Amino acid sequence: MSPKEKAAASTRRSFLKRGALLAAPLAAVAAPAAILVDDELRARLARLENEAAIRELHQAWLRRINAGAGDAAMLDPSVSGIAPDHSAEPDAIEVAADGKHAAGRFYCAVETATEIPQDSTLGQMARAQGSGFLRRTERRMLKVEYAKTSGVWEIAKAELAPA
Amino acid sequence: MPGTPYPKEQMHRIAYTKLTPDQILEKLGPAAKSGPTSASALSDVFAGKSIRIVTDNGGPALAYKFSGNNRLSLAENGGAAMDAGYGALTLGNIVFFSHLIPGTQRGYAVVVDQKTNLATAIELWFSGYEDNREVQREVYYGYVDQPGEEAPKGRHAATDRVEGKGFYWKQDAGPETLEFFPSAAYSNFVELSRFGGELSFCAPSDYIKINDDYYIYTRTECEFSGTFTAYVMDLNRIQQAGVRLGFDASDALEYYVFRGKGEWLGQHAHFEKFGDERGNPVPAAAPGQTAAKGARRVYRPFKTMAKMTKAEVDAACAKRTVAFPVRTSGPAAGMGGNLGPNTDFLAGKTFTLRYDHAPAIEYRVEDAENLNWRKEGDANWTKARYQAWESMPGVIMFGHLLEGMPDHDGHAIVADFDQGLVTCFNGYLNTPYFANEAGVRTLFGVIEMEGLIPPKYNRHKFTEEMLGRAVSQNYAPNLTSMHLYATPHSLSWIIFTDTDAGGLEWSGPGAYVKIRDGLFFMYWLEEACNGTLGTILVNLHTMRDVGVGYNCGPNGLSMSAVGAHERLAGEFDIKRFYQVPTTGGAA
Repeated sequence: MSPKEKAAASTRRSFLKRGALLAAPLAAVAAPAAILVDDELRARLARLENEAAIRELHQAWLRRINAGAGDAAMLDPSVSGIAPDHSAEPDAIEVAADGKHAAGRFYCAVETATEIPQDSTLGQMARAQGSGFLRRTERRMLKVEYAKTSGVWEIAKAELAPA
Repeated sequence: MPGTPYPKEQMHRIAYTKLTPDQILEKLGPAAKSGPTSASALSDVFAGKSIRIVTDNGGPALAYKFSGNNRLSLAENGGAAMDAGYGALTLGNIVFFSHLIPGTQRGYAVVVDQKTNLATAIELWFSGYEDNREVQREVYYGYVDQPGEEAPKGRHAATDRVEGKGFYWKQDAGPETLEFFPSAAYSNFVELSRFGGELSFCAPSDYIKINDDYYIYTRTECEFSGTFTAYVMDLNRIQQAGVRLGFDASDALEYYVFRGKGEWLGQHAHFEKFGDERGNPVPAAAPGQTAAKGARRVYRPFKTMAKMTKAEVDAACAKRTVAFPVRTSGPAAGMGGNLGPNTDFLAGKTFTLRYDHAPAIEYRVEDAENLNWRKEGDANWTKARYQAWESMPGVIMFGHLLEGMPDHDGHAIVADFDQGLVTCFNGYLNTPYFANEAGVRTLFGVIEMEGLIPPKYNRHKFTEEMLGRAVSQNYAPNLTSMHLYATPHSLSWIIFTDTDAGGLEWSGPGAYVKIRDGLFFMYWLEEACNGTLGTILVNLHTMRDVGVGYNCGPNGLSMSAVGAHERLAGEFDIKRFYQVPTTGGAA
């Protein structure tokens, strides 16, 4: 190694050394912080994953209700359709700290279809032509409670409240 | 003795023979060979020509060769040709022809627009329903194949554009009818010459648009003779050309093509969204299902009604008789959904309703829901539940059952306390055809009450002011009907679909009484239907009605309240058809 090369190496080492020295205190305090960030990220990720799973569960549930698959029974058998109310407050899903319970609040337009009594000729004729339901659409707030069992979110309770 | 224009039995009372397929085949045989008869000269527009009609959606391909004006050969779907008689008539560019297929119970009615080459083929057949005589139909849309030319893109199509129209028709062979189209799925017809025009009747119908001026109409007289009628109509010239196929009350085959001329009677409103010109508002199949060939939704009230004996009626009434059950709210309120508030106008009052041709009834009214009544001269009072509404100031409609009467009577009453006049529709059971079918007596009279001087001669009167009008009734959301006052002695009711198109329709005997200007008391009997007596008091100023229904069935006797918000849909000019002409008698 030439003196010039020695000097350069020395300078590089000393720089690295200085850097290492400078970095040392930072690394010394960053180790627990990184763990915290990691936990936060993990928690955030878990929360986002839970919210996404709940949202997916919610959307699938609404699709089944709107398809008349009978999933509205737990809510109100007369409910025939639920659509998001985009003019209302945004949806809200809150996952409990235990990560096993959650609550959702969804503003929506709820369509109900109630069978017209068949004790009149009009009611009978309406049914005979394939209608025979009284249909109403109202703005409501859908309150849903979720529970996670064996890693899978399920709807524990759902109710419609005034919007 | 000179004949009257009336049949021994009206259409809904005729016990049509249950013809067997063999009987039908035998009766069709000669007509299949000779073709339909016609009072007008048959058209030779297709004589010597061959046409091939191609239809959509798996419908038949029909290869015709016409020789002369009454012989053709037909090969269906490339099969063997067979010979048949036919009859054709033209209306402008439109050709209408019909034929049967020998050796079968089938035939066709075909419409060809020579200008566009579009065609509609209506396949017809018997023995396709449990009542073999009821003609079945399937409508196929297509075109006349022009070798070397591309198939036209347009098609005739089901439409609601005929909805709301009404016509008087006189066919070349003499029959006269009034025909109303208040629905896009049903129609309402009055047989002026065949049945004397007392009642109107309803039938499932097709409405098909050829162009803005020409339309195809069909009806099948389901629940009656099963006869099928189809014609092309020119809405401007008010002319028709069509066919009638079926068996009459004496089981004679009616198979003829006809021309007719008519009069336009008016146009009433229809209630689909603007721009919605779709037809077939009552789909034959449920959503997601495919309709079978010829399927359609048909209201069959005679088939489904309870038919009870007097003993069964007495037992049902003894088991359960209820007047004005406690009103529920929401959908369960049904036809009471738009009922206005009750009135206590009668509470505490004592009065007598003195009818001209029926026993006077004395009343002591306790409160807004309970009254006591007795026939004048009786010692004992009978308590009854009632409800009352003040439709117009001083005019009270109320109803109650008359417990203990042998025919389980019920009274629907309109009493005008400003005029001292009363009209009662007295419903009763144990009628001749079915004991649970309500009958009605219209009682005119006066109110006798302290401080009230009734007229000596004046009475409410039957009126024809409502005749020809159509009035919709909205009882609750998605529960809307419309009355069409089609004859002085009957009305029809149309049930709207979820898209507010006119759907199923039926009719029954009825009558109209004028109470005041703009206030009409009317009834209808759901004969050969549910047996109900319906009564309503229509206020054309407030466009509201209140009414009382009286019904007996296996679940007992009931009187219930109805109420609706109304719209006046229009009026047909038909009063003149019900005037007795100053002719007749022996010269």
